[in-house]
Amino acid sequence: MILANYLASAVLFCAGLYTVLTRRNLIKMVMGLSLMESSTYLLFISMAYRSGSTAPVLLSPPDGQSPQQLAHGNAADPVLQNFCLTAIVIGVAVTAVFLTVVVRIAQHYRTLDADEIRELRG
Amino acid sequence: MTAAALGSLLPLPVALPLTGAAAAPLLARLSTRLPLFVSAVALLGSLAVLVIIAPTVYGREVLSHFMGHWTPVRGQALGIAFAADPFGLTFALVCAGVGTLLVIYTLSELGGLGARELGGFACLFQLLIAALIGAALTADLFNLFVWFEVAALAGYGLTGFFLERPIALEAAFKILVLTTIAGFGIFIGAGLLYSGHGALNLGQLHDALAAHAGTADLVALGLLVSGFATKAGLVPFHGWLPDAHEAAPGPVSALFSGLMVNLGIVAAGRLAYQVFPAAHVPILGALMVFGVVSALLGAVLALAQDDLKRLLAYDTVSQMGVLAIGLATGTASGVAGSTYHLVNHALFKSLLFLCAGAIVHRTGVTQLSKMGGLAKRWPLIATAFAVGAASIAGIPPLGGYVSLSLIHHGLLESHQYLPYAFMLVAQVVTIAALGRAAWLAFLRPRSEEYERSERLHPGMITGLAGLSVCCFAFGVVPRFVLDRLMAPAAAGLLHAADYSRAVLSGSGRLPETTIPFNYTDTLELVVTIVSILIAAAVATIYLRVKEPAPIRLLRAAHTGSVNDYAGYAAAGAIILIAALNWI
Repeated sequence: MILANYLASAVLFCAGLYTVLTRRNLIKMVMGLSLMESSTYLLFISMAYRSGSTAPVLLSPPDGQSPQQLAHGNAADPVLQNFCLTAIVIGVAVTAVFLTVVVRIAQHYRTLDADEIRELRG
Repeated sequence: MTAAALGSLLPLPVALPLTGAAAAPLLARLSTRLPLFVSAVALLGSLAVLVIIAPTVYGREVLSHFMGHWTPVRGQALGIAFAADPFGLTFALVCAGVGTLLVIYTLSELGGLGARELGGFACLFQLLIAALIGAALTADLFNLFVWFEVAALAGYGLTGFFLERPIALEAAFKILVLTTIAGFGIFIGAGLLYSGHGALNLGQLHDALAAHAGTADLVALGLLVSGFATKAGLVPFHGWLPDAHEAAPGPVSALFSGLMVNLGIVAAGRLAYQVFPAAHVPILGALMVFGVVSALLGAVLALAQDDLKRLLAYDTVSQMGVLAIGLATGTASGVAGSTYHLVNHALFKSLLFLCAGAIVHRTGVTQLSKMGGLAKRWPLIATAFAVGAASIAGIPPLGGYVSLSLIHHGLLESHQYLPYAFMLVAQVVTIAALGRAAWLAFLRPRSEEYERSERLHPGMITGLAGLSVCCFAFGVVPRFVLDRLMAPAAAGLLHAADYSRAVLSGSGRLPETTIPFNYTDTLELVVTIVSILIAAAVATIYLRVKEPAPIRLLRAAHTGSVNDYAGYAAAGAIILIAALNWI
């Protein structure tokens, strides 16, 4: 089952990379990068999962279990989930900068075609 | 002070500029230039803290500190560790020191901008320096990723700082795309290592990987090194670098080239030596290939440029290649030489970019073909440029001579004659490129006046003079620098087991190493003189002929299309991962 997650994540990553490499439209490139980013979240959440594990939330454990029992039992790896949270925060900031630059480019060049915005080369 | 007390100072050099960065936009409301003054104070403060811990660290004692005192339990570290080893501390000291000089320079060159611009500039500038110092001191892989991203975000802002200039926007988009992809590589690499070994602490990872490095670990290494090579601007990950340098104002280019790109090299060095067992993994070979290719291509492309700042940027690609070659020798001389060259490069490249920025700011001309006669008009800038160029060329009383001859020595010692030959060719072309630039911009006679011409301000003179003096200082006392600073730095990288023990146990000592160096080595002096003579001939010929076909093809490959650059980077990463696993 978890293999499907890994495959989906790989497919999403490649689709995003393909978009970045082949699309000339700046917005589409930003979308491709967002897709790659989401695929890494899926990968990390899947890597954190262990067969039959519960969420690593130790507050208010289910009936008959103490937080200690939960911590020693079968819980998903919280560190990798934390990675995702950090990366999501960074990703939002990066996307905001991306879109700011794209808006400015659209205002200046009146186009979003990457092929027409290559004054710097050689 | 005890090691623990000194260790608890470690977060301060990062915290000070971070606080300054947060305060900068607010301070700009009080007074226009206040944020820059506060940046200078914050960076000086962080320099002071680093200087306080320096004698202990360079005395071969590695200090470490766990944030919030989440110390390791039975060798398992959950908290984020900061560890000052001589290698990282050297980079941190350079960042704080050169950063302070750059702020002083900025204060007088860009001091006329509005409150909003200066507030934003001071904020991003300090954020970038804080991230670099953090990356130099951290001993935690995920924390390294976070500092990488902080540096990247500040870098995006600074590249597109003059949002009114269309080329700044174009450059900002390219650096965004390439660095974001690099960030994915580092993120996935860190995650793979964690899920394989349950550790993020560099010391703990070293212990786990020394026992066994499997396929997943090598894939992770390939992704991590590709990511950091993008930051360092090694070929084929370099697409963003020349554009970003061309579009940004002078002090920002100096910051990027002198300090920011080194983050990639420092991190790659740490990964190769302190995390992975360099002897059992073909990472040094891979770094050597990247280094040689970058050194050669960067130098050749620099020779062909007409834009002064773009020329210097391609030279940065070449110098990063030289740093990678030094690290990849695997010898104490090579690694110490590379660390030495990192310091020298930060000094001379910042100096050259400040000169270029000053020329562009003063005359409004960016192309070499439209410059000329600058030596007569601004002898001070010309002198500073000459000092920087002579240091790159490796002319004896300057720092470059020492570091280059150490790297040469490392290559000869380990019998790597082919990379040695390539490095000499790159060196010749580099000198030719800088000589050509110096002739076209400064020495060539020019009769007509420039449209604009301003005088130099005191702050700019301070910046230029400070960096020039440092270029000399690191060249005239090589024995002192080598024994006290560079030999411990090399020891920290080469004796990774001691570093890892020190990180996990709170503090520890590195073994003694001595680096042989002879200032009047005949071979080295002959190589220097001959390469300068050949370079003079190459530059003279290149000024007369039309662009040769191979160079034209190489330039045509730099299409300026961000899709292509991303493609080169992705291909480079795939080849690296494949090579690490199957060679």
